[in-house]
Amino acid sequence: MPTIGEHVEVERRPKLGGGGPGKIPNPRGFGGGDDGDRDRREDFRSPKQRLNRMRLLMGICLFSVTVLFVVLTLVYLVRLVSGRYDPDAQRQVQDWIPLNLPYVQLWINSLLLVLSSVTLEVARRTMAKKEEFAVMGIVPPAAKREVPWLGITVVLGFCFLAGQILVWKNLQHQGAFGRFNPSRPLFFLVTGAHAVHLLFGLAALLYAALGARLWALRFDSQRIAVEVTSWYWHYLGILWFGIFALVHFARA
Amino acid sequence: MKSQPNSPQANAKPFATGWVRHVFSTDHKVIGRQYFFLSLAAVLVGAWLSLLMRIHLVWPKAAIPFFGEIKPENYLAYLTIHGTLMVFFVLSTVPQNGFGTFFLPLQLGATEMAFPRLSAAGFWTTLVSFLVLMAAFFVPGGAAGAGWTQYAPLSALANAGPGQALGTDLWLVSIGLFCLATILSAINFVTTTIKQRASGMTLMRMPLTCWTWFVTAILSLLAFSVLTAAAVMLLLDRHAGTNFFVPGGLLVSGKAVEHAGGSPLLWQHLFWFFGHPEVYIAILPAMGVTSHLLSVFSRKPVFGYNAMVGAILAIGALGFMVWGHHMFASGMDPHAGFAFSTLTTAIAVPSAVKTFNWVATLYGGRIRYTTPLLFSVGFVSLFITGGLTGPLLAQPSLDVYLHDTYFVVAHFHLIMAMAGLFAIFSATYFWFPRMFGRMMNERLGRIHFWITLLGAYATFMPMHLLGIAGHPRRYSDLTGVQYVAAMLPLQKFVTVAAIVTLAGQLVFLTNLFWSMLKGPAAAANPWECSSLEWSRPGPSLPQSVAGRKAVVNYGPYEYGIVGREKDFVMQDDPDTGERRSAI
Amino acid sequence: MAAALRMVLALITLGCVYLFVAHPLWFPAGVSAESVALDRNFAVAFRVLGALFIAGQLVLALVLMRRPATAESKHWYGNWRIEIAWTAAITVIFFWFNISGGRLWSHEIAPHSAAGATQVEVTGAQFQWYFRYPGADGTFGRTDAPRWAKADEGNPLGIDPGDPAGRDDIVATQMVVPVGHTVELQLRAQDVIHSLFIPAMRFKQDAVPGMDIHTHFTPVKVGVYEIACAELCGIGHYRMRALVRVVSEEEFAQWLKGQANR
Repeated sequence: MPTIGEHVEVERRPKLGGGGPGKIPNPRGFGGGDDGDRDRREDFRSPKQRLNRMRLLMGICLFSVTVLFVVLTLVYLVRLVSGRYDPDAQRQVQDWIPLNLPYVQLWINSLLLVLSSVTLEVARRTMAKKEEFAVMGIVPPAAKREVPWLGITVVLGFCFLAGQILVWKNLQHQGAFGRFNPSRPLFFLVTGAHAVHLLFGLAALLYAALGARLWALRFDSQRIAVEVTSWYWHYLGILWFGIFALVHFARA
Repeated sequence: MKSQPNSPQANAKPFATGWVRHVFSTDHKVIGRQYFFLSLAAVLVGAWLSLLMRIHLVWPKAAIPFFGEIKPENYLAYLTIHGTLMVFFVLSTVPQNGFGTFFLPLQLGATEMAFPRLSAAGFWTTLVSFLVLMAAFFVPGGAAGAGWTQYAPLSALANAGPGQALGTDLWLVSIGLFCLATILSAINFVTTTIKQRASGMTLMRMPLTCWTWFVTAILSLLAFSVLTAAAVMLLLDRHAGTNFFVPGGLLVSGKAVEHAGGSPLLWQHLFWFFGHPEVYIAILPAMGVTSHLLSVFSRKPVFGYNAMVGAILAIGALGFMVWGHHMFASGMDPHAGFAFSTLTTAIAVPSAVKTFNWVATLYGGRIRYTTPLLFSVGFVSLFITGGLTGPLLAQPSLDVYLHDTYFVVAHFHLIMAMAGLFAIFSATYFWFPRMFGRMMNERLGRIHFWITLLGAYATFMPMHLLGIAGHPRRYSDLTGVQYVAAMLPLQKFVTVAAIVTLAGQLVFLTNLFWSMLKGPAAAANPWECSSLEWSRPGPSLPQSVAGRKAVVNYGPYEYGIVGREKDFVMQDDPDTGERRSAI
Repeated sequence: MAAALRMVLALITLGCVYLFVAHPLWFPAGVSAESVALDRNFAVAFRVLGALFIAGQLVLALVLMRRPATAESKHWYGNWRIEIAWTAAITVIFFWFNISGGRLWSHEIAPHSAAGATQVEVTGAQFQWYFRYPGADGTFGRTDAPRWAKADEGNPLGIDPGDPAGRDDIVATQMVVPVGHTVELQLRAQDVIHSLFIPAMRFKQDAVPGMDIHTHFTPVKVGVYEIACAELCGIGHYRMRALVRVVSEEEFAQWLKGQANR
C-alpha cells in the first residue's frame, strides 16, 4: 500500500477549479470520504461502518418524514382557517366543526407509546452493553433471566395501534357532525399517516426481535436494527405529541 | 483484524444461485443497467404514443396498423401516459437512477452503493410501478385521461370521463409505488455520497455529475414524499369518501356529486410543489453529465467549478419556491403571482450561469468531436433555446395568455424533454464502453445526432407559433374550434418532422444493440477521462474483485496539461510533487 | 466535424429567425383595451430574448473553432471576475424584464370600478359554456345545479325557481357584450376545471368548481370572436367552443330585451 499522508501543504492557487491538487484530508476528520480503507482497514461490511451508514440513512428518512408531516400539518391548518366557499353568500364560510376527541383514549394511547419508547430504549442499551462485551471477545455471562424488552415494545406498539383503531371507530360513530365536516378526514389523514409510519417501525422491530430465530440474523445486525429503529421510534413518539397538540389546539 | 468474522469473504453468502442471482443482483452495475433497459422500454412506449397522437391530430381518420382509428378518449389516455412515462420513467429514472446507480459509486471511488439491497428494492418497485401503469391500457375505460398533472376534480370523479375509473386508480397506485422507489433510491444516493467517498475525495473534488446526483437525490426526498401524500389523498377522495379536492354542488354527467368542501386548488398546490422540483430532478443530472463531458472532450477543466456547484445548489433551493408559476391562470390569489414571478426569474440566473460556464469550458479547448461531445453541444444549444422562453413565461401577464397553449408545450419539450434526452444520449455514448465493454459506432452516432438535432428544432420551434396564435394544448381534434382548425398546415409540418425524428431514433437503437453484441472491445479508458469510473477494471466484474480501493489525489477535471505523455491526470494518480508542479 | 457543427448551429439560428420573422401564425388582432399593453410587452420580450437566442447560438458556434493541432488546451479553472460580471449582467436583464412584466400584471389585476360595467357570469360545464346576465334587477339568482339543473328544460345552471332575483336572469350560450365597456366576469364551473380563453381579448382564466373568480376585460372593437377551453376537461375538451359577440350599446340593449321577452 502506498504511503500517503506526508503532503501537508495546501495549494491555494486553483481558486475556481474543482478541488485541484492539495492536501489529502485526514480521513477521520471532515471532508474526505471514509471508504478508502487506509489506516483502519475497516471494510464495507464492518459493523461500525454499517451502523454509521444506517444512522445516516435514518437521519435522511426522518428528514423526509418531517417534510411529509409538515405538509400535512399545513394542509390541516389551511383548511381549518380558510373554510369553504359558499356560492350563495359569495364568501368563504367556516364549516369546521371541532371533533369531540376521546381524550381518555388518546391519553391512554400516548401513555402506551411513551412506555414503548422507554422499553425500546432499555432494549437498545442492553444490546449496546452486550456489544461492548462482544467486541472485547467476552461472552457475557448469561443473565439469569433476560427480559424480552424488544418483545414488550412490539406488544406495546400494537396496543397503541389497536387504541388508535378504537379512536377512529369512536369518531366514525360521531355521526352528528355531518358528512362533510372537514375535520374528521383530516384527523384520519394525519393520524393514519402516523400509524402507517409506526407500522414500518413495528416491522423493523419484529425483524430485529424474531430475526435471530427465523432468518439467522447475526447479533451485530440485530443491534444495528434496534439502534436505528429506536431513533425512528422515539421520533414517531415526539411526532405523535405534535399531532396530538395539533388536533387539540387547532380548533376553529 | 483481517480475520474479522464479517470480512467480505466470510459474509458473501449468495442468497440465490444461477440466473436468479444475476437478475436479482444487488450489484450497482447490474441495477444501473436494469434501470437503463427499463427506461429504454418506457421511452419506446412513450415515443410510440406521441407518434399516435401526432398522426391522430392531423389525419384523424388514419387507421394505424393493429391499432385502427384513434378515438378522442384514446388520445387523452395517450397524452396522459406519454407524459407520465416520459417524466417519471425516463427523465427522472435513467439520468439519476440508471447512470447514477452505475456510476456514482465508481466516480466516488466507493466499492458499492451504501445500501445495495435498497438499490435492488428501488429498481424492482419501479418495475412493478411501470407494469401497473401499462396495465391501465387493458382495463375497462382505458388508461387515465386527465393529463399527467391529474387535476382534480376531473381525476377525482370516476364518472367524469372514460379512463377516470379504474385507469386513474392504477395511475395513482403506479405513481405511489414510483414515489416509494425513488425515495428509497434517493436515500441511498445521499448516504453513498456522504459516506462512501474514497479517501481524498473531498466534496469539492467530486465530478459535477456526483454533485448533481447528490442534489437531485435531496430534491427527490422532499418532492416525492409530498406527491405520495397527494396521491394517497386523491385515492381517499375517490374511494373513502373524504373531501380534500372535490367541492360541493357539482353536477357531473347529470348526476349530483356526493362530495363537499374540498378545494381543487389544493391538489394543484400539492402537485406543483412536487412538480416543479421534479423538473429539476429531471434536468440536474443532465446538466451534470454535460458539464462532465464538455470538460473531457474539450480537454480543459470545467470553467468555474465552484460557480457550477453553487449554481446546482441554488437551483435545488429555489426549485421549491417557484411552483406557483404553474398556477397564474388558475384562480390563485393574483398577488402571489408577483412573488412567484420574481422567484422564477431568480432561478433563471443560476441556469444562465451554468450555460455561460459551459460555453467558457468549450472556449479555447482542443475539442474532440466525438458523438458524446456532439450531443452535449446539442444539449447546450437546446438549453439556450428552451430556456429563453422561461423568463417570458415567468411574467404572469404574458403567461396567462400562453398558459396551456402549445407555447408551453414547446418550452418544456425543448428544455426538459429534448435537452434531457440529448444528455441521456451523450451519457449513453460516453459510458457505453464502461457499461457494456464495447464501443458504439461513431458514424451511426453522428448520423443519429444530426437527425435528432435538426428534428428537435423542426418539431418544437413551430409549436411556439401555434401557441402564440392561441392553440390550446391537449386538443384531440383540431376541428372543434375554427381558429384552431386553421392551424392544420403547421400542425402537419410538426407531425412530419416528428415522424422523421422518431424514425431517426432507429439508427440509435440499431447502434445500441449492434454495439452491445458486436461492437469493438473498448480500451480501459477510451475517452482519456480523468474521473475514477475509468480507473477500474471492466464492466462485468463483481464488485468484490473490482473493489480496488482508490486514493484520490487530484481534482476531477485536470485536463490540458502541457509537456506530458498524456494531457490529463487521473484523479487517483499517485501524487508526485513533479506532476503537481506541471499543473 | 467542427465546421459542420458550426454551420448547422448557424443554419438552425437562421431558420428559427426566419420562422419568427415570417411567422405564418401570430397573435390574432387584439380587440381589448388590455391587449395593447400586453402586445407591446410581448414585442419587447420577444426582441430581447430573440437577441439573446441569436447571441447564445452564435457564441456557441464560435467557441467551437478548431484550433491548430499544435495548440494546447488552456488549463484554465475559470475567473471569478468574469463569473460575477456575467451573473450580474444576466440578473439585470432578467429582473428588468420581471419588473416591467410585474407592472403590467398589477395593472391587469387592479380591481375595476363597477360603474357602467357589464356583469356576466360564465359557467363551464362538460362541454359547454353558459353566460348569465343578471337582468333588470342587477343581481344573479341563487343556483343549485345538482337540485335544479335541467338543460332540456331551459335551466342548465340550476337557477332556483324560488328565488325572485333569478326570475329575470338571462342565460345564453354566447357572450354578447357592448363595445367600450368593461365586462366584469364571474367564473364558475359545474363539474371540472375549465378555462375561458378568448385569444383576441388576450384573456384567459380558469373556471374552478367551488370557486367564484372575478375578473374583467374591456372589448374595444365590434365583431365576433371565438372562445376556446384551455384546461383539459375531458373527452370533449377540444370542442368546448363558444362565441363572444361584441356589439354596439344599442344593439346590446336590444339583445337583452329580446332575451328577456323570450
